[in-house]
Amino acid sequence: MILDTEKLYAARLHATRVRPYLAAALFALHPVESTRVPTMAVDRHWRCYVSPAFVAATPVAELAGVWVHEVSHLLRDHHGRGDRYAARRGLTGPGERLRMNIAADFEINDDAYGDGLARPAGAVHPRMLNLPTGELMEDYLGQFRLGPYTQGMAWLDCGSGADGGDRPWDLGPDGAHGLTEQERDAVRFRVAQGISGQPGNLPQGWKRWAEQAFHPPQPWRDLLGAAVRAAASSAGTGEDYTYGRPARRSAALPGVVLPALRRRPPRVSVIIDTSGSVSDAELGSALLEVTAIGRAVGGRRDQVSVLSCDAAAGVAYPLCRAEGIPLIGGGGTDLREGFARVLATRPRPDVIVVLTDGQTPWPSAPPGRPTVVGLFPRPKAYVNEDSEYVPEGPPKWARVVTIG
Amino acid sequence: MPKTLDVAADLLRLLADTATEPRPDSQLEALTLAVAADLPVLLWGEPGIGKTAALNQLADSLGLPLTTVIASVHEPTDFSGLPVIGADPAVHGVPMAPPDWAVRLARAGRGLLFLDELSTAPPAVQAALLRLVLERRVGALRLPPGVRIVAAANPRASAADGWELSAPLANRFVHLQWTHDHDVVIRGLGGTWPRPALPRLDPTGLPEAIAYARRAVCGLLSARPALIHQLPKTETRRGGPWPSPRTWEMALRLIAFGTAAGTSREVLSMLVRGVVGDGPGLELLASLDRMELPDPEALLAAPASAMLPERGDLRQAVLDAVVAAVRQRPQRARWDAAWTLLVRALETGPPDLVVVPATTLAALRQEDWPVPAEIERLAGAVTVSRVAAGAGGSR
Repeated sequence: MILDTEKLYAARLHATRVRPYLAAALFALHPVESTRVPTMAVDRHWRCYVSPAFVAATPVAELAGVWVHEVSHLLRDHHGRGDRYAARRGLTGPGERLRMNIAADFEINDDAYGDGLARPAGAVHPRMLNLPTGELMEDYLGQFRLGPYTQGMAWLDCGSGADGGDRPWDLGPDGAHGLTEQERDAVRFRVAQGISGQPGNLPQGWKRWAEQAFHPPQPWRDLLGAAVRAAASSAGTGEDYTYGRPARRSAALPGVVLPALRRRPPRVSVIIDTSGSVSDAELGSALLEVTAIGRAVGGRRDQVSVLSCDAAAGVAYPLCRAEGIPLIGGGGTDLREGFARVLATRPRPDVIVVLTDGQTPWPSAPPGRPTVVGLFPRPKAYVNEDSEYVPEGPPKWARVVTIG
Repeated sequence: MPKTLDVAADLLRLLADTATEPRPDSQLEALTLAVAADLPVLLWGEPGIGKTAALNQLADSLGLPLTTVIASVHEPTDFSGLPVIGADPAVHGVPMAPPDWAVRLARAGRGLLFLDELSTAPPAVQAALLRLVLERRVGALRLPPGVRIVAAANPRASAADGWELSAPLANRFVHLQWTHDHDVVIRGLGGTWPRPALPRLDPTGLPEAIAYARRAVCGLLSARPALIHQLPKTETRRGGPWPSPRTWEMALRLIAFGTAAGTSREVLSMLVRGVVGDGPGLELLASLDRMELPDPEALLAAPASAMLPERGDLRQAVLDAVVAAVRQRPQRARWDAAWTLLVRALETGPPDLVVVPATTLAALRQEDWPVPAEIERLAGAVTVSRVAAGAGGSR
């Protein structure tokens, strides 16, 4: 059978008309005729293997949907993510690759079609397995396994570009018309830029992709740790020259008194002020993270102290007892009181860390110490709309890290 | 009966006897180029993946003696100099004496200074290192220009040790992510280590390389002035590469060196993203890609012999540029030339790319211009367009 290139290209043209923001990526795909591939499949070098029989049997409108689907695998880097997932979990075998292919298809298909683009027959959808929509491949992978429900999906094969497993029809990195890694990044970057620069109602999934493709969100642990470390090592904290002891080098310079550089381990005070809306596990892990960093920076366990307001006492007390962290005690239900009590302790803390859900008044003046706020975002449902009390956000002098 | 240790020595000698094979290594190529460009390099990599081995290899191939200084076990005074009192301090002042490794480096006049474990050095030591990295001064001693500086740092894992690199220090380095390639490790353990071919600078094309680099960087920054200086908002990103006038100058130098050495885009990408960060780096590379596309005016001047890029997206960008050029200066000769180009594109590649430029070009026609003969040969594109429109109608 001869490949009907006219139909194939007409479908691509239709795809670029209804999804103009994907045009650069669609045009960058190089179609390769192959009788071994069941439908259409991509490899990681941006070649698109096409079965002539599939093209003949599929209407142009649906073929356009398949074009968009295949290019989405490449834009979303499903092969790289599949490889990383497999390496992290130690997964091998074609069954796992099929599972990745299905999960990747779920990620694409839940918002790819409609709005002028026809849904190809046999396209899988997360609702077929009663899974929620709008999640990522990695999330779906943890939620299903191959079984009777996935039987109908077993013929799926979007190629090595979708799951990272090599296919017999792949031309490999040395074959003609492949894109190098840098060229692939450049195409993806151009598409991402086009999407983020374009106002209007693009699908949420693509907007999120464009934001995160080249700036993946960082885990809050890293951000909180970096903020606390930066506060603990900022100028004036913990480290200074002192004449209290002779310098180590003094022996080399008889007759001269040199100041020694002394590091006084920074004291970290943690104020916990949350209502019941923050789960104990979240609060506990944030507290443990802060105290671990505080100790690593300070060196001794009694350099970290915790003050909790009453609502959080249930988590803070046992944790502090188990970890040997001194508890300053209950600080009332107002963050201003908490600040006052922490600043009244002697010696004064060098760094103040506040773990809060933001439903609190803040001190009007900066406390004179570097302050890091770990903010638990409060679910919208808890906001009491008819009350006149509107909590203000954390003040500008604090470094805010959103947790969770 | 031979002694055990003698046999052990034989065994060790046999184990060390490994072969090498040529194999391209883009990270070593990037490192070599950055060192050749006299920019301080910072290697980020997990412990034990062969950063030091790579440094040894680099020092060998450049013919430089290697000096390793572990930053985290030194005091600030080891980098800023130790005060030494002479006979009359009020007259002669108190000189800041450099440590012995600096004196040896300065005496040799050339060398590779390797500052290991930079990220675990306390902030005060990092501050002292700033001067060494930027001004090449250790106390009163100035390191000669033949000394190149490479530093290494372990990426801070989830554990809570180590310090963020301060933003000013991070901004002075070319950041290179150092990873291991499992194929290389497996073949190496099997007895064959790779022998990368290091980039060589071509002495004939130096002015062109500089002109190219200047055009690339200035072209991008005049279109996107917001990219010139962007201090990242989070502490973790401040310890990495970010765009500033200083790093743009470094990027310019690296592009000039990369062009003079004829390196691949892969290596250039690592280097550029390592100085100005991922986003601005990718934008710079994208503008390099655009610079390499054929000039629309040149294509219009000689449409019959035009060479269009093979890749679909690039070809489409070129055709769009050609149509835009005709729109800017609509003349009949240029309009006809553009049709010839479109026909060429149709004959040598997929037809769907031609549809949008052809429609736009047709709309540019002025009344007294006759329809060119070539339009007949665009029938393929018209069919494709009609079929596609049919698909849209049947939704």
